[in-house]
Amino acid sequence: MSATTSTVGSVPRAVRYRRLRAFARHRLGLVGLVIIVVFTLIAFFAPQIAPYDPTTQRIATARLVPPSGEFWFGTDELGRDLFSRIVYGARISMRIGVIAEGIALLVGIALGAAAGFFGGWVDNLVMRIADVFFAIPGLLFLIVVVAIFGSSATTIFLALGLISWPGEARVMRSEVLRVREREYVVAAKALGLRDFGIILRHVMPNALASMIVIGSLGVAGAILSEATLSFLGLGIQEPLASWGTMINRGQQYIFNAWWYSVFPGAVIMIVVLGFNFLGDAVRDALAVEEGR
Amino acid sequence: MFQYVLRRGLWAIPTLLGVFTIIFLLTYLMPGDPVRAVMGEQYKRADPATIQRVRDSLGLNDPWLVQYGRFLVKTVSGDLGKSFVLDEQVTGIIGYRFPRTLQLMSAALLVAILIGIPSGILAARFQYTWIDHTLMLVALLGVAMPVFWQAVLAKIFLTQDTYGIALFPVAGYGGGSPLYLVLPALVLGTQLSATIARVMRSSLLEERRKDYSRTARSKGLGEPGVIFRHELRNAMIPVVTIIGLDIGYLLGGSVVTETVFNWPGLGRAVVTAISRRDAPVIIGTLVFGALLFVAVNILVDIFYAVINPQIRYA
Repeated sequence: MSATTSTVGSVPRAVRYRRLRAFARHRLGLVGLVIIVVFTLIAFFAPQIAPYDPTTQRIATARLVPPSGEFWFGTDELGRDLFSRIVYGARISMRIGVIAEGIALLVGIALGAAAGFFGGWVDNLVMRIADVFFAIPGLLFLIVVVAIFGSSATTIFLALGLISWPGEARVMRSEVLRVREREYVVAAKALGLRDFGIILRHVMPNALASMIVIGSLGVAGAILSEATLSFLGLGIQEPLASWGTMINRGQQYIFNAWWYSVFPGAVIMIVVLGFNFLGDAVRDALAVEEGR
Repeated sequence: MFQYVLRRGLWAIPTLLGVFTIIFLLTYLMPGDPVRAVMGEQYKRADPATIQRVRDSLGLNDPWLVQYGRFLVKTVSGDLGKSFVLDEQVTGIIGYRFPRTLQLMSAALLVAILIGIPSGILAARFQYTWIDHTLMLVALLGVAMPVFWQAVLAKIFLTQDTYGIALFPVAGYGGGSPLYLVLPALVLGTQLSATIARVMRSSLLEERRKDYSRTARSKGLGEPGVIFRHELRNAMIPVVTIIGLDIGYLLGGSVVTETVFNWPGLGRAVVTAISRRDAPVIIGTLVFGALLFVAVNILVDIFYAVINPQIRYA
C-alpha cells in the first residue's frame, strides 16, 4: 500500500498550509516568483519575443544608436539590437545558472544525506572533502578550470556545480541530523525499510523547503559567477550573447554609449534579485512554522 | 586557549593537503607543452635531444606520483616556481602584487563596515519603520548588483562629464595616491556592506528580544545605552563570521575590480597570466588564495574562542 508511506506523511497538512500562507503574505517572495517565471518564459520564447535577430549587424546604418522606439535598448558597436541580444542572453544565463545549481544540489544532497544518515567515518570523510572545496577561492578555481578545459557552457556549469556543492551538503546533513532520531524514522527503520527508502520517503520531504532556499540562492550565485567570468572575457564567447560578455564589450564605450553596459547589468540584477527574494521568502515561511 | 589554537591549526593540515592535491590535478591536466613555454623562441630551433633534456630537467618524464610528491614538497617549502613569461619567481610577483590587493581589500572592508554596521543597527532600532524598509531595500539591491557592473556604472557616472561628473580618476594606481583608491574601494565594499547590514540587523533583533536587554531597558537605560553597552557585544558574533567568510568574496571581487580600474594587484596579474598562458603564476595565485582563506578562517575561529569561551570546550 502506497498510502501508508505517502511522501507527505511526515509534513502535517496544517504546517504546509501555514507555510503556504506565510509565503503568500511575503510580497517580495511573490515578486521573486514572478520575476523567475517571466525570465524563464523569456528564455523559452526568445525567438518570438526578440524583435530582431540577435546577430544581425548594421555596421553602416545603426552603430551605437541610443535607445529609441526602433531599438529599445539601443544597439552595440556592430549595430546589433541590444534588446534582442539580452532576450537571447536569458537562455545562456538562466540555463547555466539552473543546471550548475542542479548539479550542486544533486551532489550536495547525496553526499550530505549520506554523511548525516550514516555518521561515523562516512560523515567525517564527506565533511573533510567539503572543507577542501570550501577553502578554494571560487572565482580563481573557475578561471583556472576554464583556462584548462575551454570556456564552453558545459565546462562552466560543471565547474560551478563542482565548486558549490559543499554548502548544499552541509545544509542537507543538518536536515538529516534533525530528523534522524524522530519516531517516524526510527519506526520506519524498525519496519525494515531500507536506508535509501527512508531517506527518500521521510527525510527528503522535510528537507525540501531548506533545499528550495539554498537552491534558489545558489542559482542567483551561479548566474552571477557566469556573468563575472564572461565579463572577464573568459566565459561565453561571441557571437553568442551572454549578459556578462555584453557588459565586458560595453565597458569600452562608456564614454559614448552608456546603454551598452547599463541594460545587461540591470537585467542580471533583476534576475538575481528574483532568486534572492524567493529564497528569503521560503526561509521566512519556514521560520514562521518553527515559531522564530 | 593555547591548546585550542594548536588543535584548530592542525585541523587545517588535511584541508590544505586536499587543496594542494586538487591544484596538482589541475596543473597535471593543463594543456600546452610547458617545455615550449620555458624555452620560448629557442623551442623552434632546438633539436629533439635538447627538448628531451629540458623535459628531464623539468621532471616531466617522472611518474605522476613522483611529480605529485615534488609538487607538495615545493609548495610546502614556499617554492611556487618561476613565471614562464616574466623572469621572476612567482613568490616575488605575489610579494609585489599582494600588498596592493591588500590595500584595496582593507579599504573595501573599511567601507563595508562603516556603511554596513550603522545601517544594520539603525534598521534594527527602528524595525518596521520607513527607515528599516528603505535601508533593507537598498541592501537587497546591493546584494544583487554584480560588482563588475557597479564598477562600470561608477566609471560612467563618476569619472567623466559626458554622463555624470568627473569626480575621480578613471583608473590606475596613481603612485599610491588615495584619490585613486576611493572608487575601487567603494565599489568593492558596497556589496559587502549590504550583506553586513542584513546580518547586523537580524542578529541585533534577536538580542533585543532576550531577557538581559529587557532588564537593561526596564532599569531605565536609554535605547543607545542598551544597544551599545549590552546588545551589540553579543550581536557582533554573526557579523564577524560573515566578515571572515567574505574574505573569499573580497578576493574574487578584487580580481574584477582590479581589472576594471587597472589596479596593479594580484587579481589583475591572474587575468593577465591567463591570456599569456603563464601557468605557474595562475597556479601560484590559487595556492596563495587558498592559504589566505584557510588562515583567515582560523583567525576567525580563534577570535570566536576569545569572545566566547564556551566554544573552546565544544
